[in-house]
Amino acid sequence: MKFAKLVFKNILRNRLRTLLTILSLVVSLFLIVTLGTILTEFDRGTEESNPLRLATRHAVSLGFVMPMAHLQRIRAVPGVKDAMEFNWFGGIYKDERNFFANFAVDAKRLKGIVTELKMSDAEWQAFENDKQGAIVGQKLVTLYGFTPGQRITLKSPIYNQSVEFIIRGVVTGGDEKTLFFHSDYINELLPEWAKDQASVFTILANTAEDVPRVAQAIDSIFVNSDAPTKTETEKEFALSFQSMMGGVKQFMYYIMAAITFSVLLVMGNTMAMTVRERIKEVGTLKAIGFQRRTIAGLFLAESLVLALIGGVIGVGGAELLYRSFPFGTYIPFFSQFIPTGTTLLAAFILALMVGLISVAYSAYRVSGLTIAEALRSTE
Amino acid sequence: MALPLKYNIRNIIVRKGSTLATAFTIGLTVAVFLLVMALARGIDSTLASSGEPLNVIVMREGSTAELNSTVEQGQFKDLMYLDGVARENEQPLAAGEIITLIYKARKGMSQGSNVTVRGVGPMSFKLRSGFKVVAGRSFQPGLTEAVVAKRIAERFQGLEVGDKFRIQTTDYTVVGLFDSAGKAFESEIWVDINSLASTTKRTEAFSTALLRAKDQTALNALTKRITDDPKLHLKATSERTFYEEQQGQASGALKALAVFITFIMAVGAGFAGMNTMYAAVARRTTEIGTLRVLGFGRFSILIAFLLESVSIALIGAVIGILLSLPLNFVSTGTSNWVTFSEIAFNFKVTPDLMIWGLTFGAIIGFVGSLFPSIRASRFRIVDALRA
Repeated sequence: MKFAKLVFKNILRNRLRTLLTILSLVVSLFLIVTLGTILTEFDRGTEESNPLRLATRHAVSLGFVMPMAHLQRIRAVPGVKDAMEFNWFGGIYKDERNFFANFAVDAKRLKGIVTELKMSDAEWQAFENDKQGAIVGQKLVTLYGFTPGQRITLKSPIYNQSVEFIIRGVVTGGDEKTLFFHSDYINELLPEWAKDQASVFTILANTAEDVPRVAQAIDSIFVNSDAPTKTETEKEFALSFQSMMGGVKQFMYYIMAAITFSVLLVMGNTMAMTVRERIKEVGTLKAIGFQRRTIAGLFLAESLVLALIGGVIGVGGAELLYRSFPFGTYIPFFSQFIPTGTTLLAAFILALMVGLISVAYSAYRVSGLTIAEALRSTE
Repeated sequence: MALPLKYNIRNIIVRKGSTLATAFTIGLTVAVFLLVMALARGIDSTLASSGEPLNVIVMREGSTAELNSTVEQGQFKDLMYLDGVARENEQPLAAGEIITLIYKARKGMSQGSNVTVRGVGPMSFKLRSGFKVVAGRSFQPGLTEAVVAKRIAERFQGLEVGDKFRIQTTDYTVVGLFDSAGKAFESEIWVDINSLASTTKRTEAFSTALLRAKDQTALNALTKRITDDPKLHLKATSERTFYEEQQGQASGALKALAVFITFIMAVGAGFAGMNTMYAAVARRTTEIGTLRVLGFGRFSILIAFLLESVSIALIGAVIGILLSLPLNFVSTGTSNWVTFSEIAFNFKVTPDLMIWGLTFGAIIGFVGSLFPSIRASRFRIVDALRA
């Protein structure tokens, strides 16, 4: 600790260089936290799934539909508390860039099955009573200024149809970027080939023990029908979407590695310059009687302090920025954009490692010079 | 009077370590830019090259993908004999095809993705160029055999020659692998149409119909004629447009990501470059004074330092390009969100991307060295010599 003052004096000796090095560290760490957060946000759907909920879809693919008649038989399976259709409508609001999910559901059952949706009783009532009604997530209100009573039109390219809805409530909970409406309303309007069909059934099981039994029982009912099914827990269902990302996720890790390597080069270069400029001082220190260990330690401490400052500003800044502004609202497909504790910690440790490694060689080399070598150096 | 280039080159060589570290930092930025852009480019070019110029694809009105389309066999017979459909030996060049998906696990993972299975007839091969069996043989009509795209067999479990996989309740045997010069159907499995029809119980309707128009005029007339027919409820698109429309959705997000990441990395690399150049200027203060005494003007000094930095940046950009070149031999896959199925493609580091990389590197070098160079040019001769 008695050398702390010396370390800080040294850091402040070339203020511009210190500033630029820290800035370079800060932006790189900010980027690493951001990329890490993109990866964890992809996983959010799986993390926050309800373990009692299952999803049934056509065994071949989501692209195929099942008859609505399946639903009665699913509800009769022991262990099933309730079940409803959950149909992707793919409606576009005004412009293709305004992407948000919209599903046709059983309005009376929605509240009981998707329990995380919160809304006042009066709003639930208003939604259930109005066949043309729709409810929207809080974030959609932020994005498009929806207000209860407003009439909006969604155009679905799947059915080549425009449908008008009246907003009856604003939901909190869930991803808050989804619009729900009555499936029986849309069913009347759809062309003949699209009537009475469902792409997904959402099922709520009574207990956790029922979940695997229910999945098996449902699939075995329909195995020989025209529309065989595949029933999974909500988590598995979300995972299958994630897996569709394929190689892209892996490349995010490569990019993060490249950024880390580049910070290492930047820091390494700076520290090499710093150490080289002070070779003569090292000679003097040695002449006064400083140990090799102490001299190397001084350089190490200097580098670590830089890394620490860069880490605190870069990682802390990213955290502060993403916490204070709801970016998730504005990024399609994401509901939130908040770094996890693990991401922050990992980035911070990375910063310290960079501080340590970048100076290691220079410090080792220079502190090992003899007094004469150091004082005579022309580097 | 301009300083000779030799001056810069020698300086770069004298400070090997520092030069290389700075160049590498810029190189990594350029490499990351190329990595993400090459990914987006790979998806785009796979889709762009997939449509045959004279092919027309007919789907049900309102379908967004081949998968959820139906074209009844009766309708198909009408389409086949429309004016403007090309013929070969009196046979119309037209094929009805059935599309389905199977879910396969990726190699080394328990999770997987959907793979498109296409039921094809003899005409399908004539309508698509580039199909080539590279291992085993093609399937025999009427049997439950399949040929699998080589890229798909490489990425998923249990699709090598001799393996069996299940479509609904029927087992199919893989008898061959094919490739198709980088087109979208290189992400598919092909089986006999009649077998697939009975497997999927779709004996009365195809998913889509593919027609070859006689020429461009006939193509325009055909698409209009089919789409406008109120009785058919079908939609005809040129195959080229069909694939091109899928491009933006898959690669748009990647391009945005590329710009975001590289912008921030470039700022970081710019700071690093500034550091290096400030150090260079500081170390060479006396030298700058000497040059000024010799008669070199402030402007020559400015230019010399800028040139030096841009050259280092260009060396870096070249390193970045060299690092990214092996990507051309890497193929990967992701889901096509239009079809909900796997699309396999190669990274494409194209010449125009490389030029972007070079420009990009040069800009980092220029911006990073601007302030240090200005400082160098502003030294007063006396101060510089006394330093």
